[in-house]
Order: sequence, then C-alpha cells, then structure tokens
Amino acid sequence: MARFTRYCPEYMEDAFLAQGVGADGILFAIHTDMDEDGARADTYTALTRDALLVLTGEEAVARMDGARRIVARFNARSMRTVPLEDIRELTNDRLVATGQLCAVGHDGSVRSLLLYSVGFLGDAEKLAQAVKNLKAGLPPLQDVSVDTDRFCPKCGQRYPESGRVHCPKCADQRSITLRLMGFFKLYQRRVLTVLAVMILGSAVSIAAPQIGSRMLFDEVLTPGGSYFGMALAFVALIFLVRAVNTGLNMLYGYALARTVPWIVYDLKMRIFEAMQRLSVGFYTSKRTGALMNRVNRDANNIYWFFVDGFPYLIVNGLTFIGVLTLMCVMSVKLSIVVMIVLPMSVVFFRILWGFFKRFHHKNFVYGAQLNSMLSDSINGQRVIKAFAREDAEAQRFARVGGKQAGVDVKMNNAAFTAFPLIYLFMFMGQIVVTMVGGVMVVNGELTLGSFLTFIAYLQMLYGPLEFMSWVSNWWARCVDSAQRVFEIIDAKSDITEPERPAAVSGMRGDIIVRGARFEYDPATPVLKGLDITVESGKMLGIVGKTGAGKSTLANLIARLYDVSEGEITIDGVNVKDWPLASLRGGIGIVSQDIYLFIGSIADNIRYANPGAGMEDVIRAAKAAAAHEFIMKLPDGYETRVGAGGQDLSGGEKQRLSIARTILQNPRILILDEATAAMDTETEAAIQASLAALSKNRTTIAIAHRLSTLRDADSLAVIEDGKVIETGTHRELMTKMGAYFKLYKLQMEGLKVINMDAE
Amino acid sequence: MYATKSAETTDAAAPLLSDAIDLGYLDTAQAKFSMTPGGFLELDYKGVNYPRVAVRRSLPLAMPNEYLSLADPEGKEIAILRDLTSLDPGQRGLVEAELNRRYYCPNIIEVKSVKDQLGYVYFELTAQGSGPPSSRMCAVKDVNKNIRMLSDDDVIMFDVDGNRYRIPSLKALSAKSRKRLEPYLF
Repeated sequence: MARFTRYCPEYMEDAFLAQGVGADGILFAIHTDMDEDGARADTYTALTRDALLVLTGEEAVARMDGARRIVARFNARSMRTVPLEDIRELTNDRLVATGQLCAVGHDGSVRSLLLYSVGFLGDAEKLAQAVKNLKAGLPPLQDVSVDTDRFCPKCGQRYPESGRVHCPKCADQRSITLRLMGFFKLYQRRVLTVLAVMILGSAVSIAAPQIGSRMLFDEVLTPGGSYFGMALAFVALIFLVRAVNTGLNMLYGYALARTVPWIVYDLKMRIFEAMQRLSVGFYTSKRTGALMNRVNRDANNIYWFFVDGFPYLIVNGLTFIGVLTLMCVMSVKLSIVVMIVLPMSVVFFRILWGFFKRFHHKNFVYGAQLNSMLSDSINGQRVIKAFAREDAEAQRFARVGGKQAGVDVKMNNAAFTAFPLIYLFMFMGQIVVTMVGGVMVVNGELTLGSFLTFIAYLQMLYGPLEFMSWVSNWWARCVDSAQRVFEIIDAKSDITEPERPAAVSGMRGDIIVRGARFEYDPATPVLKGLDITVESGKMLGIVGKTGAGKSTLANLIARLYDVSEGEITIDGVNVKDWPLASLRGGIGIVSQDIYLFIGSIADNIRYANPGAGMEDVIRAAKAAAAHEFIMKLPDGYETRVGAGGQDLSGGEKQRLSIARTILQNPRILILDEATAAMDTETEAAIQASLAALSKNRTTIAIAHRLSTLRDADSLAVIEDGKVIETGTHRELMTKMGAYFKLYKLQMEGLKVINMDAE
Repeated sequence: MYATKSAETTDAAAPLLSDAIDLGYLDTAQAKFSMTPGGFLELDYKGVNYPRVAVRRSLPLAMPNEYLSLADPEGKEIAILRDLTSLDPGQRGLVEAELNRRYYCPNIIEVKSVKDQLGYVYFELTAQGSGPPSSRMCAVKDVNKNIRMLSDDDVIMFDVDGNRYRIPSLKALSAKSRKRLEPYLF
C-alpha cells in the first residue's frame, strides 16, 4: 500500500493516530484550507474503507533552531466522521474563489462536506473519484493521478503552481545552465573562437594604459628611461594597440554573430517541434496558454542574454580581475585606497538608483495604460463614433496622460538629481585616489606614469562594477525563461501514439461511442455518459442546444482529446489504439471555427493533400460552392489569405474549409455546424454537394438548424451531455418528445417570417 | 446611463427600457430564507420552495451588497435582491454567510515580506477572511496581470491557485507594507 505520507505531511500521521485512526487504514487523504464556515483552517479529509474522516485544526509552524527545515505540528480542533454507506457520491461545486465538496445521499439529498479555496479543487475532485472507485469495487486510486511530487523534495515547500513541478526557490540554476550550455556544444569551435577573441580583447585593453600612460611617461618622456626620446615611435605604438583592439572588437562581433543566432535557431526549432507534438488540450488549458504567450519573449530573453549579457560578463569579469591584479602589482598601498573608495560608491549608486527606479516604475505603468488605451480607442473607433463618445474618450485619455506627465516630471527631477550626484561621488573617489597617489608621486613612492595608469585603471573598474550589480537579475530572468522553454520541450502530450497500435488497413467507418464522459475543467462535466452508434456509410444528425456537448463529441472522435470515461471505437477498434495518422487521416472535420493559413487559396484547399492537382482543387472548390467567389477575386486561386491576406467573410472561409475536407477524402465526415455562417441560398448549394459527398461515407452532422439535417439516416438529440432521444425524423416526430418540440419551435419561427412577408 | 440617453433621443411612442424590461426584484415581504440541514441556503418565495439557492453579486467589487442575483442550482434566476440591507438582520446573516462562502476574499492587513524569484513573486502576508487574521504565503505569477489597482487606493490580487486577496485601502496599510508592495502595483 502506498504510504500515507504521499498525500499528507508526516506529522498528520500522529494527528490521525490521536483520533484513533491508524495511518495504514487510510487509503487516500487531501488537505484543504478552510473549516465549514469558510474561516481559515487546515482540514485533512481521509478516506478509509468505510468512512470519510474530516479533521479540522491548525498547523503550527516552527523553525527549529539552526535547522533549515520547517517543523510543523497539528493542533486538532474537531473531527467529523461521515460513513460511506450514507453517501451515493461526492460532487464538487466551483464557486467564485472557493469550491464546495458535497455528499449526495441515496435519497438524492445533498449536503455540504467541505469548503476550500479554489486551488484545492483538483484534490477534492480526486477524493470524489476515489470514493466512486471504492463504491464500484475498484482499487480506490485507479485513474486518480496522485502526484507524489507536490512538495519540493529539497525545501519541503509546496510547489507554487499545482501541476507544475517547479520550485523556484530551489530551481536548480546550475542544471538549467548546463542544459542551456548544451546547445552551445554543437557549435563548440565557434564558441571557443568567440571566447578566445574576447579574452585577447580584454588583455589588449588592459595593456593599453600600460603603454599609453606608464611607459610613455616613465620610459619615453622621462630622461634616463629605457626608450627616452622615442616619442614618435611610441605614438605609433599607441595607435597600433588601439587599432589591434578595434580589430579584435570587430572580429569578436563577427564571431558572435555567426554563433548565437544559430543556437537560438536550434532552441526555437526545438520549441516549435515540441509544440506540434502537444495535444489540443495543452493549448486550451489556461496555464499553458499563458506559457505559450511567453515563448517568444523567453527565446528573446535567452538570445539577448547570450548576445549581450554573457560576453560582457566574461569581458567585465576578466577586466576587473586583470585590472585589480595589475594595480596591486604597481602599488599595494594605492590599491587598498581604491578598494575602500570603490565599494562606497557602489553602495551610493544603488541607493540613488533605487530612488530613481520607483518613479521609473510608475512612469512605465502609466505609459502602459496610455498605450492600451490608445490601441483600445483605435480598434474601437466605429463603436466610439456610433455612441458619440469621442469627447469622453479624450477625457479618459487626458486623465491618465496627465498622471503620466506628473510622474514624468518627478522622474526627470529624480534623474537630474541622482545621476549628477552619482558622477560627483565617483569623481570624489577619484579625487581621494589622486590625492593619495599625488602625495606618493611627490614622495617618490610612485612614478608619474604609474600614477596616471592607476587613474586610467580606476575608471576602467566602474563599468564592470556597475554591470555586475545588475547582471544577476538579468541572469535570473534568463534562467527563468530557459526553465519555461525546457518545460515546453519536456512537456508530455496527453494524446500519445499508442504503444502497440492496432493493425488497421483502411477505415470502414463504423463508429460506436459508449458511455463517454468528458470535462475540460474539473468539476464541469461536458459529456455525462453519452452513447451513439453510426453504421458505416450512414449519416447521423445531432441536434441540441448550444453547450450541450455536440462539438466536444466531434473532438473526441478525432481524438483531439481523450474521453475521461467510456470508450469510442471505430471499426471495433478503440480510437486510443488507432495509429494517430491513420485515425485523423480517415476523419474529416468541418468545424465552426475555421483557420486559414498564410498562403494562397489553392494551398489552403490542398492543405491535407499537398500533391493534389489543380483540377482536383477546382473540383473540390466547386463541390463546396466556393469556385464562383474565388473567381471573382482578382488573383483567383492565387489570392493570399490568412493573417494579413485578403479578408474573406465567415461563409467564404467556411466554404474553403469544406473544400479542404472534400479534397482530403475522409471515410468519416464530421460536419460541425458546417453551414451555419452561410446565407440560405449558398447553404442549399452546399447541402446538395455535401449530400453527394456523404453518400457511402459515415457522416456525423451537427447542426442547430434542423433543416440542415433532413438527409440524415437517423437523429440524436443531445441535452446536458447525454443522448435523450434517437430515431429517424419520422419516429421522433411521432414520439412528440424533445425533437418534436424543437422542430415545432423552428417551424413557428419560419411561419412568423412568412406572415410578415405577406 | 443608457436610460437617460434613450429618454432624450427617443420619441414618446417608444417605451423606456425600464418599462419594457422587468428586473424581477425580490419582494422581501414574501421571501423567507433558511438554512437546510445539509448546509445550503433555502428560499421560500411566493409559495415556491427553492431548496438550494445560489447568491451571486452583480458588482462584486464596487457594490458587494447590492443587486444580488438569486438563482437555482441550474442557474435560472429567481429574483434580484436590490439591497442586502433591506432584509431583517436574521435573514441578512444567512445570505451574507452564503456570499462569504462563494466570494471568499481575505483582506491583506500586512505585507511581511516580498520575494521576487524566477518569475514568481512570493508574498508573506497577514490576511483576514472570516475569523481571526492569519499569516499565509502565496505566490503570484505575471504580477502586472494578477495584481490590479481598482482605484488609486484599492487593490485586488490573484495568486497562482486562483485565490483572491483584497487591499481595501492602501493608505491604511503600514508604510513598510506599502513600500514592499509598491514595485508590483500596476
């Protein structure tokens, strides 16, 4: 048996033991954060063979002296026992920021069991499933994914986001770095070239003051120096050093430009490939939706760090160490002075910078508000004019604009105060060094050349120091981005190719859906045990209200999602065992939301079948009643559509999508409100060609308008995730049930129009 | 706002919106709330018993106690309670308890520490819902989206789990708490 501590912290074992329940009797347990009245509390609900035990109290947290680990105890306040025999099932209700676990009794009576803040909904769902399993005589944790890794193994804290195994506290920056560096491996030689050039460059810039200041003054311009009088040659040398430095800089730029873009290209390709592999569910879930939005920004963050940050980190680091070493070699005493003055100016700099940043932040916030307001008003011009709200919009803009101007003034004032003060302070540091150094020169402790070199070096130190003070933030941001990128690369698709795919040759098109249950979000089931059967070559019409689960069914048959319970078979083989490519290749869906890719109309029609000849493309377009409108466009089949291309109406796009599916020539055709966005005349034209197409093809037609379904061999009425009626049009009409009602309603609507027309 | 506009611009024949659409206010004299043994809000109204009533706020932030929609578990509206204060204290307490359960949103009374780590901002807070104040840790992602200024003084915050926190008045916070929070206010 799984250890109880998989679900609860260890100390809970004692808490339950104190109530007379041994840990080995507990099959599953969850933690929630409120008591029955919604006040903050720690509630542990444990499932045993015959009861639910609800233990409410407070966790007392204490940090042990000297230990990093947090030690917790549990002070129990109350315990309730709910016998399982009184419960038929557990259900969860999602409220606004809370959820409620309810027990449904055998007589249908409902009572509230637990209240929790909404983050615990997933756990409560698991408990409901475990109870259901137990009642059905199944192992309680079957189909309940108990993620053991809910707590970070290193620091013991719960992960901030459930479902994302990532503890930012302990995020292993090193392993991410190593993995990031792995991308550089492919380009090892180029990277080494970049590094070599960079190191050489730093060496030359450190050497420059030695020649330009120390040797020039001490050896060339001072009588008795080794090169006394060779001024002209020395000026040439100084120029040469500078030229070499510039050359190295250029070389470095080329080397870097040749390397980093390709590494980022690799990274982007990996992300893109991973994205193609992931299931539709990945894209629709909110959490990952946000993740995707940031992908581009993340790739850019990484790019800029490696183009801009990383090289300067090395250059600055090397410069800093090199300069400091040389300073010590030249004069230990003066170096000590520098080391006292320098940190002080860094501290001063940070204080002033923080002061400036506050205003900068506010300015940024108002600027962002102003920008969104601007785009809002540009996109909404039509509405603004229609409601005559131009003046009000201007006033709204003026309010935020005024605020921004106010903060802008403050920010500029802060900038004009902070930065000169920073320079003044830096200059003061230089004054101190000049003073001490000057005295040393006068006393003969230091040569004039060395002294001037020192001053030059001092200025070379400020840059790296300033850089180091904020590069760590930059680096953290880059690691964060990398972490998210790797998360996508590593993400596993919910829909995977079966391990042992069934040996299928071609598709006949017999569809059976048995007891299908499905939900997009926990606690909001869409399908609640749906059964339908469609024989090969027949047409099934599905009717029902919006939100009844019609489109979901189409998605499930094509296995864009997997059912959570029940099964769907095609030709007697579970869709989960079909090779994905054969399954989806055999099913054509014309859905409500149509996506056209950037490219020509012909390419879009050919999308599923790129090898199709022009004749077939035109044939498909004609069948979809699209040919005529395409020919009216100036560029005909070469018209560019998709983002930035020709604007097409909803009905036109839908016809292209039908043509695309026609060319795919699938065995199973799913028409999900395929003609909803068309006028009656076009619909009639398409209906005719669809009727021809669906001959000998298994067709599932989902429609709101019943007239669309007149050719169906049978009809199914879906309501609230279940099929409530099936039969032919005639059978359903004589039955006078839900279908009859719907039909009458629609007919009456038409009658009213007819009367108006007369 | 809309009503005044249509009043000015429409001719006498067109009915006012307020005449055409009935809001369906609750007649409090005929309504009796009670609590079921199962812990749900029950309503007897105009001779009909609704064993489980959901109360939803139309304006959860600006007017939390006005325009409350009473609906059955399927979401069908029974009536709108114009103002919670129009109920007598006992009845009011029952509805308030139901509201608190649904719109749990503790107030932040102190910001003890803020840590910005790898895209998450960790807050150590003292917050008060119903019951005594307690300290909690919460993590917020995408702060510019999840910490919102409702006015210059009023802040709402959503953590990664979907919990809500409210600061009814920034000025009422201690200077230290305010300073810790300031970089994350957008």
